[in-house]
Amino acid sequence: MPDNGRKPETVALTIDGREVVVPKGTSLLQAAAGAGIEVPHYCYHPGLSAPAQCRVCLVEVEGAPKLQPSCVTVAQDGQVVRTDSDEALEMRKGVFEFYLVNHPLDCPICDMSGECKLQDYVFAEGREHGRAHEPKRVFGRDDFGGDVLYYGDRCVMCTRCVRFMEEVAGDPRLTVVERGSRAVIDTFFDQGLEGASFAGNVVDICPVGALVSKEFLHKARAWDLDHTPSVCAGCSQGCNVELHTRDNLVQRLKPRENQEVNGHWMCDYGRESYEWINRPGRLESPQAGRGSRRKPTDWRDVLGRLHARLQELRGAEVIVIGSPLWPNEGLAALDALAQAAGQVSRRVFRSPRAQDEDPLPGFPLLIRRRDLAPNVDGAGLLGFDRDGSDVGEGGLDGVAAHDGILLVLGDELRDQSEEFGASAALFVYLGTHDSPAAANADFVLPVTNFAEQEGTFVNAQGRVQRFQQALRPPGTARPAWLVLGALAAALAGNGPPPSRADGAFAALVAAHPAFAGLDYDVLGVAGAPLADAGAATAAAAGQRAP
Amino acid sequence: MSEAPFRNPGWAGNTGEFDLAEAEVRGDSYVGERPLDGGHPGASPSLPYMLVKKDPSAPLFEGPYQERLDKILDRYPTSRAALLPVLNMAQELRGHVSPGTMDEVASLLDLGRAYVRGVATFYTMYNKRPVGRFLVQVCTNISCNLCGADEVLAAFLDHTGTELGETSADGNFTVVEAECLAACGFPTCVQINSRYFEDVGADDVTAIIERLKAETGDARL
Amino acid sequence: MAYPYRHEKEVRLMSEAFGDPAARTIEGWRARGGYQGIARALEIGRDATVADVKASGLRGRGGAGFPTGVKWSFMPKDGTRPHYLLCNADESEPGTFKDREIIRWTPHQLIEGCLVGAYAIGASHCYIYLRGEFFEATQVLAKALEEAYAAGLAGKDILGSGVEIDVTLHVGAGAYICGEETGLMSSLEGRRGEPRIKPPFPAAVGVFGMPTTINNVETLAAAAHVARHGGEWYRQWGTEKSTGTKLFCVSGHVNRPGNYELPLGFPLMELIEDVCGGMRNGAALKAVIPGGSSVPIMDAGECVSCELCYEGVEAAGSMLGCASVVVMDETADIVKQVRRMADFYAHESCGQCTPCREGTSWAARILRRIEDGRGTEDDLDTLMQISEQMTGTTICVLSDSLAAPIISSIQKFRNDYLALIRRGERVGAA
Repeated sequence: MPDNGRKPETVALTIDGREVVVPKGTSLLQAAAGAGIEVPHYCYHPGLSAPAQCRVCLVEVEGAPKLQPSCVTVAQDGQVVRTDSDEALEMRKGVFEFYLVNHPLDCPICDMSGECKLQDYVFAEGREHGRAHEPKRVFGRDDFGGDVLYYGDRCVMCTRCVRFMEEVAGDPRLTVVERGSRAVIDTFFDQGLEGASFAGNVVDICPVGALVSKEFLHKARAWDLDHTPSVCAGCSQGCNVELHTRDNLVQRLKPRENQEVNGHWMCDYGRESYEWINRPGRLESPQAGRGSRRKPTDWRDVLGRLHARLQELRGAEVIVIGSPLWPNEGLAALDALAQAAGQVSRRVFRSPRAQDEDPLPGFPLLIRRRDLAPNVDGAGLLGFDRDGSDVGEGGLDGVAAHDGILLVLGDELRDQSEEFGASAALFVYLGTHDSPAAANADFVLPVTNFAEQEGTFVNAQGRVQRFQQALRPPGTARPAWLVLGALAAALAGNGPPPSRADGAFAALVAAHPAFAGLDYDVLGVAGAPLADAGAATAAAAGQRAP
Repeated sequence: MSEAPFRNPGWAGNTGEFDLAEAEVRGDSYVGERPLDGGHPGASPSLPYMLVKKDPSAPLFEGPYQERLDKILDRYPTSRAALLPVLNMAQELRGHVSPGTMDEVASLLDLGRAYVRGVATFYTMYNKRPVGRFLVQVCTNISCNLCGADEVLAAFLDHTGTELGETSADGNFTVVEAECLAACGFPTCVQINSRYFEDVGADDVTAIIERLKAETGDARL
Repeated sequence: MAYPYRHEKEVRLMSEAFGDPAARTIEGWRARGGYQGIARALEIGRDATVADVKASGLRGRGGAGFPTGVKWSFMPKDGTRPHYLLCNADESEPGTFKDREIIRWTPHQLIEGCLVGAYAIGASHCYIYLRGEFFEATQVLAKALEEAYAAGLAGKDILGSGVEIDVTLHVGAGAYICGEETGLMSSLEGRRGEPRIKPPFPAAVGVFGMPTTINNVETLAAAAHVARHGGEWYRQWGTEKSTGTKLFCVSGHVNRPGNYELPLGFPLMELIEDVCGGMRNGAALKAVIPGGSSVPIMDAGECVSCELCYEGVEAAGSMLGCASVVVMDETADIVKQVRRMADFYAHESCGQCTPCREGTSWAARILRRIEDGRGTEDDLDTLMQISEQMTGTTICVLSDSLAAPIISSIQKFRNDYLALIRRGERVGAA
């Protein structure tokens, strides 16, 4: 193939005996990582500048007079690099010994234990016994404000946190004070990280247990946590995250790298907005009957009765209330059922909105959006219109007294009275929690929240992003798409309903041209933009306008 | 040197062969009084006097100091680069760099407060707390140390009745240990406010302290 | 007699006017041949000036000894971006006291050197980074600079040549590490004086991101003389690899410590015995630090045939550094002095690199324990290993600078350590 100059230039080098080909300009550390070789490092972070000061990424480069910091040494053609030569290992062993001279060795009470890079590296490459017998320097603990607590004695002084606040957050509230072995990270006296909306990232990027989350303090051990790839449900940015779970509860959120969406970062609002997932008092089994006649039942019974009722009312006017906390698959199935059941007069959702956006200056793609729900844009593409106020209440004019079919998914109707839906011919409420306004529901169906199922959201960039199931559903709760899809298929009589999430996604792609061309497997954990993401975003923007 | 009642009038190499007056050795006779506005812009960032009178609440950057500040800002391509000269000026006026001073300087130069604290704490000459009228810095590094600097330091502590780093009860003296002051051929070197005293022996300390106590109002000190 | 330290064997190019107050003024300096160097440089042009300095063999006087003309030739020639000359007047290497003498006695000599250097590298702005403690010397320089501006020797249109060179005095605030060239750049930019990883080198990305050359005070002072007299003239002194004269800062246990300007290659023992008037009280020589506290300590035996030039001191097992000769007689307490150096480096470490931040203070604590009579022989092995771990592993060479005296002192004065460890006996009093 002729080289038209577009092909990126590459260099070929040897790392630990392996041939590696990387684009020109790649650092040795990245080149090694690409070949599956992890060179220890602290100060280097792919999202920050590289000061080359931690001195644990030193490797041997043939022909160089001394060991080279692999984080800033650029790979050259024909270079021969050894990350594990005797000299490199000996030198790193020495550097790790220095790290422990003043370290309190308090792993048993340290939150980072189990995922600490000092622990890992020293275990892998350090000396078996330290030789430092001198009294240790003591800094103690410092409350940095916000959710961040600093243990100076555990600090490796990599300055990632300082550089994050300066380079990425654009809000240099952290600094190194003093110098030499008295150097320590600090704020401007008692003015800390309060109100800094991205400061939680400093806890993530701290390679050791120096910066920890107050909220997570002593809550769980790292090795007890399961990590599930997911998407933050805090706003319509859809930052890629991992849900860290234990005992079937979400314990914390950690950002997952996606350079198209959130880089390595996420905002504190999203990070802290997960307690609703763990909210107790869940609906665990289907119920049928209004008010005092309400009785628990099972899925076979309830679906049979609901199907029969929908058959009776076929052709009636249908009002649909969805929720942008639910994935596309559930909303699409809700729409499909409504269309199969009768004449859909309104599809609405209500959702809270912030006063303004909050961008991350050093990574402008990442914006804490005004829409404080993950699938506002998906709901818009699926035909749902915003209703109600910026606190997610109000609106729904005339809905309470609607006399046709009323289908509600996910909206708990907290602002509605117990009279809501009293005149409806059929009122179906699908949700996670019972609600006073659902008193008149003929059927109350327990469905899973997004963390208890897999599925997709569409973010504000028009990007379709998959998340995986992190939690077991309570009782017999089922994904909304499964319940609604079965009913819709039965009513429409068009073949078997999807039984898996990929099928549900395929069904929505078939029904909604905006999603054309997307494949569930291809989405992977990184997601993909809609074919016409620009138009989708514009549509969503128009739809968001007051 | 005739006016000085002790062996060490305060300049290099007073081995009895030097026949210059103190003002000639120090350069005072050549320099005269440097103007508070910094003089020529090229020299304007170079006036970090340590005044005897230290007023922690003195206003910063007023009158001639405002002029000096403008000249300083003009000498660098970034306002960040003016940070050290501006902190020097603040300390000249107030005697030390308090959190409030750091805050003022940060907003003046449009820098982060924490950043300014990080820089101010990096440099040892910024006093992070108030010091006495005379800050006595005794070099105890190798060349002075070989020639008795430890005894000189002990003598200063003894004669001022202070602990290392503390200020004497009368507010006159703060005695600290200093790293090499680049006067190694004239040990022991002691810097007192702006002035170097060289060839200082433990025996000379009393006379130096008496001389300092007798001095008043000299802006250069 | 004005300046007390004079000796007939000196070759006083830079130091002739030390102790001569009349030479401080611009008239006085011109009367002594001043500002002829910059005049000649402007006449022969930038490239010829660089060629002259290259031909002179002048090497950097700040310690590293890198050929000055070669360094100047690294600067880009395109001239699209501003270039800067930084004069390193942050003299703070223990044992070194030459730059302060140049500044306070011959301020115009330094200004002329800065003009020559700035012209040669195409810089229109020179910053002189002065050590903060040098209040008095700085005021002398400030006065001289104002005279130079008034006389049209600085600023726009120097000597009617159309060349513009501004000179700005910048005063530091107390940090040894700012004497390291990249630390100095950080400090000048208003940051913590933390050294930076190279590459990029200052000639490519220097202060304010622009091409920059950093030269020591003495280097620029010497360059002014080279510019005046030509490169070959300078080679009449010194050795093939170490040309010209050098200010030797002698301190410690000699009768006449001070600055002596001697041709490079001058014998160390002749410096001590003759020029400096011999050992104080006639005591026996024990050790010499030949180049400031950062270089290996030499024992008396190594001093015997040592010639004071870059290659000569290296052959004797140490480094010339900035030619700061610290002389110790038999009363010197080596363990205490090494501990004092360790305290110094621990105090001055910027704290970026782990081997330096942790290593210097750890070594200082071990040495303190040994000095207090609570050491073990294992501590010496640990110190040796720590020192090796601090060598060649960091951004700058501050930790290497502590490793050198620790390693050399344990190798050469092991008995001093053992006397303390085994018997609790100090060797030496000072």
